[in-house]
Amino acid sequence: MNALEVQGLSYDYADGTPALKDVSFSMAEGERVGLIGPNGAGKSTLLLHLNGILPEHPASLPSVRVFGTSVAEPHLTAIRAQVGLLFQDPDDQLFCPSVWEDVAFGPQQLGLSGAKLSDRVARSLAQVGLSGYDERLPHHLSRGEKRRVCLAGLLACEACLLALDEPSSDLDPRGRRELKELLKKLPVTQIIATHDLELVVEICARVIVLDQGAVVAEGPTSSILNDESLMLAHGLDRPHILRHLHPH
Amino acid sequence: MHHPLLNTYQHQRSPIHRLPAAVKLVGATVFVFACLLLPRHGWTAFAVAGVALLLTAALSRIPALQLTRKLLWVEPFALGVALLSLLQTNGFQVFVFTLVKSTLCLFSMVLLSSTTRFSDILHVLWRARAPSLLVTTLALMHRYLFLLTDEIGRMLRARKSRTFSRGRLNVWRSSATVIAHLFVRTSERAERVYAAMCARGWKT
Repeated sequence: MNALEVQGLSYDYADGTPALKDVSFSMAEGERVGLIGPNGAGKSTLLLHLNGILPEHPASLPSVRVFGTSVAEPHLTAIRAQVGLLFQDPDDQLFCPSVWEDVAFGPQQLGLSGAKLSDRVARSLAQVGLSGYDERLPHHLSRGEKRRVCLAGLLACEACLLALDEPSSDLDPRGRRELKELLKKLPVTQIIATHDLELVVEICARVIVLDQGAVVAEGPTSSILNDESLMLAHGLDRPHILRHLHPH
Repeated sequence: MHHPLLNTYQHQRSPIHRLPAAVKLVGATVFVFACLLLPRHGWTAFAVAGVALLLTAALSRIPALQLTRKLLWVEPFALGVALLSLLQTNGFQVFVFTLVKSTLCLFSMVLLSSTTRFSDILHVLWRARAPSLLVTTLALMHRYLFLLTDEIGRMLRARKSRTFSRGRLNVWRSSATVIAHLFVRTSERAERVYAAMCARGWKT
């Protein structure tokens, strides 16, 4: 069974502008896929469909399935526990007064409490290298730290599919390197929407190119990202790292 | 960015800081109600309340200047209410009475917020089974006030860096635009925050 199955997904914004046009793709369990494309291609909108935040009014025939379950009522509660969504702006995601409470928010919704909850929060914070940050206030953290707390919040839910929107955008080189190692270590299916093509080359075996709401290319990372004319045609660029990848 | 008014908690190792948040919250609430119930001529009682507050302030080891500054920030609200009483007969006496009463109440709240983390106050409310909608709203308000203040600061700085004329009309016009933008941004952020809450299982 595929971890994620998207079949003929279309979505229009409230003003009628088409955001996604007949998007179809699938992901195997444990796979890490890069979702790339220019600004406004529909990457974030696509990710919001993966746990039912969009569409606002679900169609009768759902286009997204996670581990075989359609992303629609009455499965939304279960789906949201399975799909961890990392938002583009960490300040949107950190809405609790302290780091501990924010990381605990998801597990609490899942019914965890007491020692089990504390263990889960401590483990998630340790995974992102923020042990001891429990009492810190979100507005006192750096952008990179905020990003890691957001990630800890998803790990605490033990999601089996992570949908990450620009996870490396606010990180300094060390933070980026740590994020890369962390994502590599996580044994869960991951879809990563990003402009950081080097990150894609380093950790994703497959990429999907989205432009103007449609999938324009899909395949192994090196062959897609090495196709300079394809990359330029869709507002992207052949990543620098690939230009210098040659056998020694 | 710094928030002199919003970032009220001052960490110190004092007996007042060590008191449980519930005790401080109940104490401050009882104090406010007691102040409100004091009779108009109960100046001795006012003096006792004032001394009690000053003693608490001294015990909290928070510099007097900081407490005074915070009190002055909120004092205009008390002053605004008290000024209205000047319009009635015997107005000056009522004005002084209202001002003293409100200042005592505000000072107790300044002390509470300076010696207790806001998240601890929220926990107390939560445990006391205060309506969850109220506690959640307070928590979100506290979290996003900082963000909003930062956003206003950034927008005003950006406006300043591109304001070349000294015309007052222009300043008013661009301020109005900043405020309008802030409304739009805040409402959009509210939608995104709600989506993020739903994404982690809120009320599904």
